[in-house]
Parts: sequence; structure tokens; C-alpha cells
Amino acid sequence: MNLAIQPVLLPLLTAVALLFWGRPSPGRRTFTAISAGAQLVVAGFLIHLTYTQSPLVMPMGNWAAPYGIVVVVDLLAAIMLGLSSFTALATILYGFFEASPRIEHPLRLPLVQFLVTGINLAFLTGDLFNLFVAFEVMLIASYALLTLEADNWDVKQAFPYLAINLVGSTLFLCGAGFAYRLFGTLNFADIALRARAMSDDPRVTALALLLLVVFGLKAGVFPLYCWLPNSYPILPAPVAGLYSGMLTKVGVYVLLRVLGTVLPHDLAGVHTLLAWLAGATMIFGVLGAISRNFIRGILSYHILSQIGFMVLAIGLFTPFAFAACIFYIIHHIIVKSSLFLVGGTAALLNRTDNLDRMGNLWRQTPLLGLLFLLQALSLAGLPPLSGFWGKYAILVVGLEQREFVLVGLAILASILTLFSMLKIWNAAFWGSSEECEVCVWDWRWLRMSQIVAGMVAVSLAIGLGAEGVFRVANRAAIQVLDQEAYARAVFSVTGKGAPAGP
Amino acid sequence: MQIETALLIGVLFACATYLILQNSFVKILFGFIVLSNAANLLLLSMSGAPDGREAPIAGQGAGPMVDPLPQALILTAIVIGFGVTAYLVVLLYRLFLDQKTTNAAELYADQDTSEHT
Repeated sequence: MNLAIQPVLLPLLTAVALLFWGRPSPGRRTFTAISAGAQLVVAGFLIHLTYTQSPLVMPMGNWAAPYGIVVVVDLLAAIMLGLSSFTALATILYGFFEASPRIEHPLRLPLVQFLVTGINLAFLTGDLFNLFVAFEVMLIASYALLTLEADNWDVKQAFPYLAINLVGSTLFLCGAGFAYRLFGTLNFADIALRARAMSDDPRVTALALLLLVVFGLKAGVFPLYCWLPNSYPILPAPVAGLYSGMLTKVGVYVLLRVLGTVLPHDLAGVHTLLAWLAGATMIFGVLGAISRNFIRGILSYHILSQIGFMVLAIGLFTPFAFAACIFYIIHHIIVKSSLFLVGGTAALLNRTDNLDRMGNLWRQTPLLGLLFLLQALSLAGLPPLSGFWGKYAILVVGLEQREFVLVGLAILASILTLFSMLKIWNAAFWGSSEECEVCVWDWRWLRMSQIVAGMVAVSLAIGLGAEGVFRVANRAAIQVLDQEAYARAVFSVTGKGAPAGP
Repeated sequence: MQIETALLIGVLFACATYLILQNSFVKILFGFIVLSNAANLLLLSMSGAPDGREAPIAGQGAGPMVDPLPQALILTAIVIGFGVTAYLVVLLYRLFLDQKTTNAAELYADQDTSEHT
């Protein structure tokens, strides 16, 4: 029993089992919850293993690298697996409390599990083409979920999402082809070894730029973010929580992996370009958020603005910047998903999430208000909440590298984030008007808030125990940037086929 | 052969881009189909010039073989492309049923996304 493949295998088998199970029922839900819990346990164990020992490598079918396909779990991948299974568990449970099994769509749970399969495969894979396959598994599940419970207006918003991702997939396919021609291999470790001698080859830079377009599109980096802000709001709240937490972060993870582990480190032009695109993403994202007048729309734009911070850290390209990026990812995934879930609960109570018609929430449901406030301030970056430490570290690196304009943009984006969060706070929580009713009798909101409270507790723990989390992030960053150790780990595994070592 | 293949791929990409930017659903659909075929052809050409090489069949022929890996990649890409294209067809059909139009510009002409109820 090889542990490294379990994060892909478990959700896949669960999804297939759920397909055959058929009609939604409490038993089917219990089974899904147990499976999601088991995935979280496996991911936690993987984090423990990779933190205390070396990366885990599993050759598929026992064919050794570079000719066989390998699955590699290093600390960063394990952290991402932990985050994805945590978010999946929380959003699945939230979905259970939101609607009874009688009105649940029978395909929602299997599709969520397929989505998790794709996301986890993207974290685990050790070669470029399997990354493409992982993206496609993830995207096809996400297309289906996007239109599963959609009405006429929603389907219209789903089409641009599909179209732009189709173009992105095609470009990725071309990128994989070029990489194969250029390096003669698709294995990450093998590319890393061969590319080092070619770092002044313009073709490597061109390939890096092509991959930058593809992964930038997945992550939602300026100017390729237009698909996101209109498509996420059409999702039902629990699914939107999962999407907002994980999908764009897969793009950020892949940027970390490809720029850190795979491609040579002296592509300074590409890194600078990335940093400036990140600056633009922060500003345009937060301006978009201000322009929106409903909770899910504002939060969708905030994803982009936050992506800007992470990508800025990648663009600064030092080990400490990578650690800051990883810390920021950990903070952001939990905060963002829980904010979407708070938004869903608020919309349930007010029966709308249009800010003009919301209000009275603080008076009637102070618990929900407190949860929102904690996460909103964390997103804006107030100490001692988790967002502050991530932003602080990124700004420190920026100042060290004398990128004053980018640091200024980041601070401006933070202030505007606070502003747009206060917009939600003022309208929905503090605002009082006679005509908007708060449906407190709808008892579902209490149990939904409990799920959110659990996520907020984790988020608070990250903020208060920032040093410990940062230590883990730092080790993950050093591991990502150490190409030799990565290659050694991959090639030390022997199997059929090739002799070990390139 | 390489130059002609490169030109063909370029023309296919150009056609696909042109078609995708059109308003008609059918043209958009054809654009995406051409696009995926252009990408597949590009992958195929990545196995290098086939001149003087033999088909990649194990145990036959003594000369150098054509690199078989890109062909395996194309197979995967074709299957995935087929699935996604099927989804695209259904999505466009659903859009047509909902909105009673096959014109993308008409579809998005009067949309204000800043407020969604």
C-alpha cells in the first residue's frame, strides 16, 4: 500500500462509488463525509512524513523515472493536499447542513470528488504531461459543477469560463510539446537537470513565457482574469467555497513548482514580468471588488487581488519570498472559503446577497457578524490575524529588493480591500432597515455557522501560531527551490526499465 | 517536411483564432475543433523529421525509429479534447434553447454583471 497515491485514489473511488449509489440519502452523505475525513487524515499524515523525512516518490507501475510516470509528494505538495482535503471536508459538511437530501442534486457529490481528484493529482504529479491531464480532470469536473444547478442566466456566464479554459488547455498542450522537444523529457526532475545547462537559451525563456500564460490564466493573473469574477458567483455557496479556495491556488502552486523546481533559476526577466503583472492584478482585482454590489461578486474579485500578493512573492524569487507565498496560500485558502460560506449563510438569512436589500444581521445574528469580521479583517491584513503575517513577509522581501512601487501598490490594495470589506459590513451587518427581514427561524444557519466557526478557529490558530506555520512554509520553500535534492529523490527510486540516474 | 508542417500548424491556429472570434455559435464550435487539431499536429511534429526513420514497432527494423512518445501524448489529448468538445456542443445547444439565439454578441449585449440577484 503506497501512501503517495492515496490522495488521488480515495476521492476517485469515492466518486465512482457515489455514482453507483444513485439517489441522495443520509447514508450516502455519511459515506462521503467519512471519505473526506479519511482524505484529511491521509494528507495530515503525509505532511508529517514529508516534514520529518525526505519527499515520497512512487513510480507508477514500478517503471522508474525518467521513463516511467512518477508521483512525488514533497512538503509543499503535502501542505496543498492538506488544504484541499480540509476545504473539501468543510464545504461538503456545509452543503449537508444547507439542504436536505431530498433536494440535493445526485451528481453534486460525485463531481466534487472528481474535482478533488484532479486538484490532488495536480499537486502530486511529477511530470508536465500528467499535470495537463490533472488540469483537464479538474476542469471537466468544474465545467460540469458550474452548470449542474444553473439557470438560464448562469449558463450564459459559464460559457466564457469554458471558452477561455479551452484556449488555456490548448496552449498548455503546445507548451508540453515544446518542452518535450527542447529537453527530450517531460519529467520535472529530468527537465530540471537538463535545463540548467541551457539557461541562456532563448527557447527556454520562450517556453517559460508560454507556461506563464497558461498558469497565469489558471491562477487569474492580470490580464487573464476576466473569466473568474462572473463565473464564480453563479455557483451554489458550498461549491463556491471550494472553487474560491482551491482552483486558482492550483495555478499558483504550479507557478511555484515550475519556476522553482523545474525551470532554471536565472530567468530574471520572467520573474520581473511576473512581479509587475502581480502588481496590476492586485490593483485591478480590488477595484473590481469595489465596483460590485453583491457579496459573492465582491469576494470573487478579492480572490484576484489576493492572487496578486502570492504571485508577487513568486516574482520576487528568494527563498524567503517563496516561504511568504506558501504561508499566504495557507492563510488565503481557509479565509477565502470561509468568507464565501459566511456570504452564503448571510444570503440565506436575508434571502438575497444584494447589498441594497440586506441588513440587520449584526443585531439578529452577532455570531455570524463576528465570524465575518474576523475573516474580513484577516483578508485585509490586520494584526494579529493570519493575513497580516503573510502580507508583512511579502512586503519585507519587497523592501529588501527595493521594489518600492510594488510595495506601495500592495499597501494600497490592502487598504482598498479593507474598504470593500467594510462595504459588506456596513450594508449587510450594521445596516438597518425596516423592510429587510432576517430569517432567524430558518435553523439551518446555525449549523452552517458552526462549520464556518471551525474554519475561523483554524484561521485564528494560523494567525496566532504564525511562527510555527512559517517554519513549515520555510522548509517547504527551501525544498521547492532545491532542484538537486528533488532530482536525487526522484532518481533514487529504482524500478523496471531505465537504470537509475540520467 | 518540417517547414510545411510548421506553416500548416500556423495556418490552422490562425483559422481557429479567426473562427473563435466570430459571433456565430457554429463558427465558435468549429474554431475550437480546429484549435485542438492544430495543437495535436504540433505535438506530432515534435517527434522530429520522420525522413529515413522507421515506424516505432518493437522488434522490427534495425534503423532509427520515429519517437513514439508524442503519438501517445496525442492519443491522450484527442480523448480529452473529444470529451470537452462534447460538453461544449451541449452547452451551446442549451444556450440556444434558453436564449433563442445563436449569436454570441446578441447573448451578451445587454448584460450588467455588477448586480446579480
